[in-house]
Amino acid sequence: TMSQTPLDSPSPRASCLDLWREKNDLLVRQAKVTQDSGLLLRQQHLAQDALQGFRELLHSLRGLPAAISALPLELTVICNFITLKVSHTQGFTEDQAQDIQQGLERVLEAQEQLGPRLECGLRELWDSVLHISSLLPELLPALHHLAGLQAALWLSTDRLGDLALLLQSLNGSQSGASEDLLLLLKTWSPPVEESDAPLTLQDARGLRDVLLTASALCQGLQELITGTLPRALSSLQEAASGLCSRPVLVQVYTALGTCLRKMGNPQRALLYLVAALKGGSVWGPPLLEASRLYRQLGDTAAELESLELLVDALSVTQNSETPQLLIEVELLLPQPNPDSPLYCGTQSQAKHLLASRCLQTGRAEDAAEHYLDLLALLLDGLEPRFSPLPCPPGPCMPEVFLEAAAALIQANRAQDALTVCEELLIRTSSLLPKMPWSWEDARNGAKEPINCPLWVSATYLLQGQAWVKMGDQKEAVSEFSRCLELLFRATPEDREQGAASNSDQRCRPDVALQQLRLAALISRGLVWVASGQDTKALQDFLLSVQICPGNRDASFHLLQTLRRLDRRNEATAFWWRLEAQTELPPEDATWSLPLYLETCLSWIHPLDQETLLEEFRTSLLETSDL
Amino acid sequence: MAGAAPRVDCLAGFRCSTGGLAAGRPCVLALGAEVFLSTGSELVYVYDREARRPRAVYEFPGQVWHLELLTPRRALCVLCARKGVYCAPLDTPSRSVSQANGASKDDAPPSGVIPVGPDACILPDAALCAFTLLDNMLVTVAQGPATWKIQLFKRPCLGQDLRPAAQIGEVVFPTGAPLAGGPEEPPAPHFFPVLCYVSPPNSRAPHSRLQGPGGFTLQGVLFGLLFGADAALLESPVVLCGFPDGQLCCVVIKTLVNSWAAPGDPRALVRILHHLEEPIVFIGALRTEPWAPEAVGQELPGKDTHADCLVALGHHGRTLAIKAIEDEVGNLVPELREYRLPGPMLCAACGGGGRIYHSTPWDLCVVDLAQGIAPEGAMQPGLPPILCPAGLSICSVVALSVSPGIAKEDTELLVLSARGRLMACNLALDPTAACPARMTAAQAGRKIKDLLSGIGSISERVFSLKKAVDQRNQALMCLHEALDVSCALLSHQSSSPSRCSITTTWSRQLCNELMATCQLVNRGTHSLGPGWAWCIQVVAYARAFELDAAGTTTTYTVPVQQLAPGAQREVTLSLGFGEDGVPELPVTISCALFYSLREVMGGAFTPLGATEDPLCQALPLDLLPTRDGICLPLGMHTVGLLQCLRFPGLAVPGTQAARLTMLPTDPVDTFLRACHQQGSVLVGPATLRAKYLSPSVASIQVSAELLRAALDDACTGVPLCCATLWWLLAENAAVDVLRARALSSVQGVTPDGVDILLTVHEASRSLSSCSGVQQVVHQV
Repeated sequence: TMSQTPLDSPSPRASCLDLWREKNDLLVRQAKVTQDSGLLLRQQHLAQDALQGFRELLHSLRGLPAAISALPLELTVICNFITLKVSHTQGFTEDQAQDIQQGLERVLEAQEQLGPRLECGLRELWDSVLHISSLLPELLPALHHLAGLQAALWLSTDRLGDLALLLQSLNGSQSGASEDLLLLLKTWSPPVEESDAPLTLQDARGLRDVLLTASALCQGLQELITGTLPRALSSLQEAASGLCSRPVLVQVYTALGTCLRKMGNPQRALLYLVAALKGGSVWGPPLLEASRLYRQLGDTAAELESLELLVDALSVTQNSETPQLLIEVELLLPQPNPDSPLYCGTQSQAKHLLASRCLQTGRAEDAAEHYLDLLALLLDGLEPRFSPLPCPPGPCMPEVFLEAAAALIQANRAQDALTVCEELLIRTSSLLPKMPWSWEDARNGAKEPINCPLWVSATYLLQGQAWVKMGDQKEAVSEFSRCLELLFRATPEDREQGAASNSDQRCRPDVALQQLRLAALISRGLVWVASGQDTKALQDFLLSVQICPGNRDASFHLLQTLRRLDRRNEATAFWWRLEAQTELPPEDATWSLPLYLETCLSWIHPLDQETLLEEFRTSLLETSDL
Repeated sequence: MAGAAPRVDCLAGFRCSTGGLAAGRPCVLALGAEVFLSTGSELVYVYDREARRPRAVYEFPGQVWHLELLTPRRALCVLCARKGVYCAPLDTPSRSVSQANGASKDDAPPSGVIPVGPDACILPDAALCAFTLLDNMLVTVAQGPATWKIQLFKRPCLGQDLRPAAQIGEVVFPTGAPLAGGPEEPPAPHFFPVLCYVSPPNSRAPHSRLQGPGGFTLQGVLFGLLFGADAALLESPVVLCGFPDGQLCCVVIKTLVNSWAAPGDPRALVRILHHLEEPIVFIGALRTEPWAPEAVGQELPGKDTHADCLVALGHHGRTLAIKAIEDEVGNLVPELREYRLPGPMLCAACGGGGRIYHSTPWDLCVVDLAQGIAPEGAMQPGLPPILCPAGLSICSVVALSVSPGIAKEDTELLVLSARGRLMACNLALDPTAACPARMTAAQAGRKIKDLLSGIGSISERVFSLKKAVDQRNQALMCLHEALDVSCALLSHQSSSPSRCSITTTWSRQLCNELMATCQLVNRGTHSLGPGWAWCIQVVAYARAFELDAAGTTTTYTVPVQQLAPGAQREVTLSLGFGEDGVPELPVTISCALFYSLREVMGGAFTPLGATEDPLCQALPLDLLPTRDGICLPLGMHTVGLLQCLRFPGLAVPGTQAARLTMLPTDPVDTFLRACHQQGSVLVGPATLRAKYLSPSVASIQVSAELLRAALDDACTGVPLCCATLWWLLAENAAVDVLRARALSSVQGVTPDGVDILLTVHEASRSLSSCSGVQQVVHQV
C-alpha cells in the first residue's frame, strides 16, 4: 500500500523525502516491536529484514546530490542502520567506520567542501564537519547522534585519544582543555531532537548514558589492573551510579569487590559481592572473587564453598536472552582477558581450581573426588563447554592427570591412582621418544612441548608411590628405576638458557627435571630403607645430594642412613656441612613447581627433622666431651 | 590399481546452469542405494539407484553450497549461499515423486518439488561459507573482514520447535596474507574453506554417524603428533580447515569455548599445520599401509585400521601428505611431503588402499600413496617420493563420491560431470578378473551394457573436445577477419572500410546540453564482431592558452557487438565538461577502433566444456599478454564555437512549446530542488557581467573577391553576405533554417549563455580600391 501513496495522492507536497521519512519511521517501529516478540529465530529474521530495509533506504537517499534539506534524514537513517547492525551482530566492525565516513563526506559534499580531503582519516573529517556544522543548526541533532556512534566505535576499539578529541570538539571546548573522558562525556549534551524529527532506534542522549557507564567501567577495570586503586574505585563507583542493566551491575559490583579487597577493605568488598550475587543471573565472577577474598582472609572453608558454588553456577548453561536492538554497555566492553577481575573461566577451569585448592590445603579426600569429577567432565563430555585449560596460566592436560593421581595417592586411594596413571601412559605412549632424548631436540622443531618426557617420568614416579602405599616394594622400586632411567636420558638445558627465563613465574623445565630426579632418588632410597637395604639406600641418597647439593631433605636422609650404618666420621663431617648451610639464607625459590611435584616432594619430607638434628648434636657433643 | 578401464554407467542427467556445474558448488553424497545430489542450484535431488530415477527433489531458498546428512538419516543439512544452514527432514519413500518413466534423462526438475521454507533455517548467517556435522555438533566457518570465524554449535534436534542452534564455542583468527596469484589476478573469491573432522582412534564416542566425506579416524601416533598431547588425552575430535589463502589449520574441538566465557588465544586454539601456498580444495585421510599388519603379535588385528596419512590438495595441484615415521634414532616424527599433481583441481576424494581420486577439467586421475611402501626398505615405510597419476578417461568431473563396490576389492565412484550427468564408475582392482574367458549370455549382456556405457562416457569426452576445437576455430576466424580489416584501414585511408562522422546538436531534454553524435559506418566486407571496440576520445582545449593547463581528456569505449557490412551505429556524447555543464570549446573528438586479442582468444583457451568456468581460467590465460590489442585510428574532428551557437530566433515554434509541457515527476522534482539549493549560492557573476560590462565587438575584414572565389560553387545566385554566413555556420545544426531564409545577420547564443550577433555586410574602403566584406561579431 505504501508504494501507491504517491500515485493516489494528488498533493504535490508528498515528496520523496516525506515518503522516505515515513519508511524510516515504519522500520523503526517494526524493529521496536520485534524486540518484544519472544521467538529468537523469528526475531533474527525480522532484524535481518529491517536491516535490509534500512540499507535500501540509505541507497535511495544517496542517489540524491547531498543537500542540507535531505541530510538530517540521511544521517538519522545511517544512525539507525548502524545501531541495528551493531546490536544484531553484537559488535562493531570496519563497516561501521565506513558508514560513518560516508555520512560525513556527504555533509562536506553538501557544503562543497569535499575537495582533496577525501584521503584524510575519520578524525580530520569530524573536525571539518563539526567546523562547518556550527553554521547549520538543523544538522546538529543528527550529527551529535552520529558522533555518539563514532564514540561508541572508538571506545570499543580502544582509540581513547581520538574519542577525547571528538568529545572536546562536540563540547566546543578548546583542545587540550581536559583529557578526562568521563568529564567530557558528562559535559557533552546532545541537542534535543525536535518532535517532528525522524524516529530513531536509540537517541543520542540514551547513547551518551550508555557511553558514560561503559567508559567508566572500562577505565575502572584498566586502573584496577594497573594498580591505581583509588582512581579505580572512583571510576567504578561512577559506573555503578550510571545507567546499568543487571548483568552490567553485577560486573561493576564484582570489580568494586576486587578493588576494595586489594585496598584492604575485605568487609566492604564482601558487601559489594553480596549485592552482586543478589543482583542478577550471572554468578560466576562474584563467586570467584569471593573465593579470592576468603583465601586472602584465610577462611579456607568459605573459600572452598565459594568455589563449589562457582562450579555449580558455571554448569548452568546461560540461556541467551533476546538481545535488545540497541547499543548496550556490554557491546562496548572489551572481552575479559585472564587478568581481568571479570574473568571467571569455564566450569572445568573452576573445578580444577577447586580440586587443586583442596589438595594444597590438605583436604586430600575432597581433592581426589574433585579431580575424578574433573577428569570425568573432561573425558566423557562431548561438548566443549567443559573446556580444559587452554590459557597459559592453567596446567595442560597431562598435568591435570598427574595432579589427580597425586591427590588419589594422598587420599590413600593408590589403586585408583594407578588407573589414572595407566590411562595417561596409554594415551601419551605414542608421543614418547624411544631413544635418548635431549632438550636440544625439543627446541629444534619437535612438535610436542618440551615437557613430554617430564610427564611420563612423573607418571612412573607416582606409580611407584602408589605401589609404596600398597606395600609392594618390588613394584615400587622398578617404577622408580624406570622413572630415573628416563630422567637421566634427558640432558638438561644449558644453564644460561634457563637463567634467561628466570623471571618467568612458571616452572622451568630444568628445575622441574632436577626436582623430579631428587624425588625419584629419595623415594627409591626410602623403599630400600624400608626393606632394610641401607647400602643401596645410601647410594641413592648420596646421588640425590650430589644432584641438589643444598637440599635439606636429601641431606637429612643421607645423614640418617649414615648414622644407621654407623659410619660416624662421614656423618659428622656431613653434619658440619649441614650446620654451615643452615646459617646461610635458604635458596631463593622464586619459581613454582607443578602441584603434582610439590605433592610428591611433601611425601619424602623427613618427619622428625628437628629431633634428629637435636639427637645428633647431643651425640656429637657427647663424643667431643668424651 | 593398474589403468583398468572403468565400467561407466550413466545414471541420469540433471539440468545445469549456463557455464556448467563448475560455476556453483555441486555435491554428490552416496548412501546405500540413494544418491543425494546438488548441482549448485537451489535444488537437492534424492536419486534412487534401484528405481533409476529421482525419488524426491527439495528446493531450498538459496543456492546450495554444501550438503550433509544428519544421521541416522533423518534429515538433510544444507548450506544455502548467503542465507545460512537449513535442515529439512527426509521424507519416507512412500511420498516419492510420481514421475514418468523416461524422464530421468535430461529432465526438468520433476513436478513434485518439496519446497523448504525459511522456517527450516537453523542458523541464519549470511557470512557462513562452510560447515560440517560432528556427532552432536555443528562446526561452521564464517568469513569476516580479514578474519575467519570458526563456531561450534549444539546440533539442533528435529521435531522440537526450531530454535537457533546454541553456540558452544568460537574462535576468530586472522586470514593469512593473500596468495600472490597470476599477474593482475584478483584474490580468488570463488574458493571456500574446506572442512574435515578427524576423530581420535579409540574414541569412546558412539559412532552414530556414518563417516561422511568429511570425517576420518586417524591412527593414534599421527593424531598425537599432529594435534598434541592435550587432544590425545582428551580424545577430542579435531576439525581441520583448509583455507583459500593456503593455510591448513587444526582446531581441537574440546578446547573451543564461547569467547565470553573464557577467551583463549586464537594462536593457541587454531594451530597452523602447514601453508600450501595455494587455495586448498580438499582435505582427506588414507590408509597407506596394508590392512592387516605383518607384526600380528604387537597389536590386535583389526584394531589399527585407521587412516595413517593425512592429505591436502591445492587448487593448482600441489599436494601435501603427512605420515608418522620413525627417524634414524627411532623417534616417531611426522613426515611432510609435497607433490605436484596436474591441476587445476575440480574435486577430489580418498578411496581405499591409499588412493586419491582427483578431477581436472581434462581427466579424472587416481594416484596411489601406498605404492612406495612395500618394495622399498621395510624399515622406512614412508611416503612415495613421487606420485604418478593414472587417468581414468572421464573428463570434467565436478563432484565425486567414493564407495566400496559390489565386489569386495572394487571401488565405485559416483561422479557428476560438468554437464550435469550422474555416472557410476566401477573400478575393478584386477583387470583380468573382469574379463573371464568364457562368457555366459548374462555376462555377455552385461559386457555389452558396459561397452555402451563406455561409449556414453567417451561421447561425453568427445563432445567437450569438439567444443574446444570449435572455439579455437572460431577464434582463428575472428583473427583473420580482424587482420583484413586492419590492413584495409591502414593501407588506404581515403576509401577506408569504416568511417566515423560526427555532428553536434543541442539536446533539449537534458538541460540544454551540447551533444555530439558520432556515427560509425561499416563499409567493409566483413562485419565487425566481438572483440572490436570503438574508442572515442574527447579532448577539450578551452584553457589551452593558460600555460600549465592541459586539455581535459575523456575516453569513451563502446563495444561493437555486431556491425554488419553497411550497418551503422550511433553514439551520443555529452560535451558539457566544464562547471555548470558549459562545454569548453574547442573540443577535439578522435575516433579509433580497438581490437582486443584477449577477448577473442580468451574463450579458446578456457578448458574443455567449461566456457564460463571460473575455476579454470587462472592458468592458461597467463599465456596471453594482458592488455594487447590493435588500435586503428579512424579520424579526428574539431568542434568549435561556430558549431555550437544556438539560434533561438530561428527555432521552429513547436519545439519550444514542447519543453514547457514536460512537468517534472516527483523524484526529479526532488532532485532538482536539491540541485537548486546547492547551486543557489553561486548565482551572480553572469548577471553582474551582463549588467555592468559594455558589449564587446570584434570585426574581421576579408576581401570580397577572395571570398567570392572561395565560395564560388556554393553560392551562385545568392548574395555574398548570405553565402558567407552559410559558410561560417556550415557545420551548425541550424544551417538548414538559415539557408531557407537567406539572412545576412543572425542573433544567437553561445554555449555559456552569452548573446551573440553575427552580421556580414559589404563595405567599401577608401584605402584600397576594392570593396570588402566586413563581418561584425557583436556580443551583447
